[in-house]
Amino acid sequence: MSGRHIGSAHGAREGAHARRLRGPDTRTSRVTITVVGALLGILAIGQLNAQAGAPTLAGLSASDLTQLIANLTTGNDQLRAEVADLDGQRADLENAHARGETTVDQLQADLDRIRAWAGLTAVTGEGIAIVIRGPIGGDAVEDLVNELRNAGAEAIAVDGVRVVLGIVVAGAPGALSVENHPIGETFEIRAIGSPQILTGTLTRTGGVVAQVTASYPDAQVTVTPAEQLTLPATERSLIPAHGQPRL
Amino acid sequence: MSSMLTRLRRLPTVQVTLAIALLVLGFVVAAQVAGEKPRSQYTTQERAPLIDSALRLQSAQEALKGQIVDLRRRIGDLEAENPGAADSLRQLYADLEAARLAAGLIPISGPGLAFRLEDGGAGGGVDAIVSAQDVRFLVQQLWLAGAEGISVNGERLAGTSAVIDIGGSILVNSAYLAPPYEIRAVGPADLYDRLRGSVAFIGFVQGRIERSGISLTVAVRDAIDLPAYAGTINLRYAAPAPSSAP
Repeated sequence: MSGRHIGSAHGAREGAHARRLRGPDTRTSRVTITVVGALLGILAIGQLNAQAGAPTLAGLSASDLTQLIANLTTGNDQLRAEVADLDGQRADLENAHARGETTVDQLQADLDRIRAWAGLTAVTGEGIAIVIRGPIGGDAVEDLVNELRNAGAEAIAVDGVRVVLGIVVAGAPGALSVENHPIGETFEIRAIGSPQILTGTLTRTGGVVAQVTASYPDAQVTVTPAEQLTLPATERSLIPAHGQPRL
Repeated sequence: MSSMLTRLRRLPTVQVTLAIALLVLGFVVAAQVAGEKPRSQYTTQERAPLIDSALRLQSAQEALKGQIVDLRRRIGDLEAENPGAADSLRQLYADLEAARLAAGLIPISGPGLAFRLEDGGAGGGVDAIVSAQDVRFLVQQLWLAGAEGISVNGERLAGTSAVIDIGGSILVNSAYLAPPYEIRAVGPADLYDRLRGSVAFIGFVQGRIERSGISLTVAVRDAIDLPAYAGTINLRYAAPAPSSAP
């Protein structure tokens, strides 16, 4: 009995030694390695995506996501309208080509639209006038302009200077300028767009007007809807001198 | 030494593989956790449908922008092939191409630079997160230094482009952009030298970047590519003023 016991103990030791040589339970090890490998793969992909700058929405709150969805929905509606418009232009051009006709009117209409949008021609329409009285910095004016763009302003002018690509209002309070044009302590920002949306966006509680007046308490900012505004064309050349078209 | 090698040789392959795999897993998990930063604070289940919707809308937006770029290219080609070869028509087409170039509707390439703005470490708190204000400031400084075209993470800026905060990320041309932000600018070959001569830019680097721990790197290049603006140019409220109409 004792011998069997010893024997069986010896046999158990031999078995354990054999398992050590073969490794721990092979099936369990394979499963573990598979799981670890799968985890590694998932994490590595996640890490690569993060490093590639892929937009990650995981850091946004429900409120931020709702705002993002509203922005994307509005933006996509506008893009769809643009696609439909461009598709119509393309079809008209193809039909004209098929008939062997010229398309002067369409070319001219396209040119007028692009020039108006880019600020190369004067434009008119409804919108808002923002009057600023008192010293504010260029950063505050740029914040107002940025918010006007965000609210869908189609054309903006600061103190009579059309704001186009590359134009920045800069300077300390009392020393503002735009395009080498000095701006006094009382001036007007005009924007063409929906008067309701522009006014509502700027003057909402905690909105940009509230922020600007909090940062510059000596300044007054008033926003007034306007039925018709006329904004001048830019005097700046927007044709790149150093950049070349890439076809 | 030789006994150690002998012991190592005796170790089963499975154990060695498992040990290495777990070691790598540990590194990857650590990198993942370190990369989370303060942005990922929300993990509630109710956001899942919102995230799905946002992803669908983003995907639709990219497709629409692709269509717009293709259609504009096709229209440009058709206009160039116009069967009427009169001088006036050729002039009209040249004016149209110039207007498109001026408006940012054509991709360009030229000398310039690329900035990369990246959040600081998790210990920096909210101040270490790059904001829309930071991106706007850099863009403004680039314009003032003479940039002719700028893009942010592939979104070409137009005269109507807004850069706004959304959570800890930003929206440009209604596109959701997550950090790091690459701001590319085409302009004169000495664009960066001009920028370094700006008191406001130096103040931004010393007062904002260095204090917050945000990373700002720059690469000056002989050739920087900028894509075309792919957004809408439809005017609903503005019309050419009568005096400026042809």
